[in-house]
Amino acid sequence: MENRQEKLFELLDKSGASLYALLTKLTLREDVAEELMQELFIKLSNHKELRKIGNWNAYAHRVAINLAFDWRRKQKRICLSLNNVPEIASNEKSPLSNLINSEESQEMLDAIRQLNKAPRQAIVMRYIQQQPYEDIAEQMNKTTHQVRALCHKAINRLRDLLGSGRKEIQNV
Amino acid sequence: MSKIDENEIRRRLEELSQIQPTHEATERAINRARLGFTWGTVTRSYKIKSPIIKFAAAAALLICAGYIIGRVSSAQPVDIEQLRAEIETSLRSSLTASCEQIKDELHQQVQRDLTEFSAQTLAASTTVTDQRLMELIRLIDAARMQDYLRVAAAIEKIEIDKTKLGNGLQALATRTNELLRTEQN
Repeated sequence: MENRQEKLFELLDKSGASLYALLTKLTLREDVAEELMQELFIKLSNHKELRKIGNWNAYAHRVAINLAFDWRRKQKRICLSLNNVPEIASNEKSPLSNLINSEESQEMLDAIRQLNKAPRQAIVMRYIQQQPYEDIAEQMNKTTHQVRALCHKAINRLRDLLGSGRKEIQNV
Repeated sequence: MSKIDENEIRRRLEELSQIQPTHEATERAINRARLGFTWGTVTRSYKIKSPIIKFAAAAALLICAGYIIGRVSSAQPVDIEQLRAEIETSLRSSLTASCEQIKDELHQQVQRDLTEFSAQTLAASTTVTDQRLMELIRLIDAARMQDYLRVAAAIEKIEIDKTKLGNGLQALATRTNELLRTEQN
């Protein structure tokens, strides 16, 4: 029990900031990211087979990605009016560009949410966290070629998803 | 199906990657997470496993819930301040309303009492005056009677003296006659 707690404290000190930043990027809400951060560590502390986890940092980031997209799925049905579109955290642009960027970012994140788990993780790690392919491959227990292929497929799928959304808007 | 440009996707992903939370928010989130999982660990370490203890805890909770429901559903304790304020307001209004009536009744009562007292006083004084007058009359009668008796005694004495004077004058006349006879003789 003590060992588990020590490991979690170590993880929090070492990767807490990056986990929170990741959650903020995926939710675009600092308050929600804070909630999910707490939920993440409670989940980790309640994990029954923690000994089997080889790379704590990678596992925590995977759980964080899943938590963020689960939250996005729950929020899907809530229609956002122009007044309550949340501002992007720490963006120093004008309110109008904030709004446009926020809508674009929401659209992009909703599209990423629709990807399968592996390509989703790959695209988040590669393009949002901007990690090198080698690190992603190590964390996902895959080769760099496999990761590149996953990212390529994911980009194509995103093009489809975002393109179809744009076509729907044009038809309307 | 029209596809969006790949560069556009990369640009948007690049924008997402630029988002960074504030330092304060990060600190706050880390502290909260630390507290959260510490508390979670503590609560888990005290997790109750025995069914008997669980049953006892459930029974205790049930009793507590019943007690709380009973307290909530029972009559609320009297709010003394509110009650006092209500009574004061009620009394003030009722007193204000009946103040004039009470004044009138009191005035009439005082008038009645004064009238009765004066009548009684007058009656009592009349009786005493009568008694005094009767006594005076009795005293005057007694004095007059005494005067009559004295006058009667004086008159009787005068009559007695008058008889004695007549007898003396008669005896004197007799003697005078005898004396004259003697001289003539």
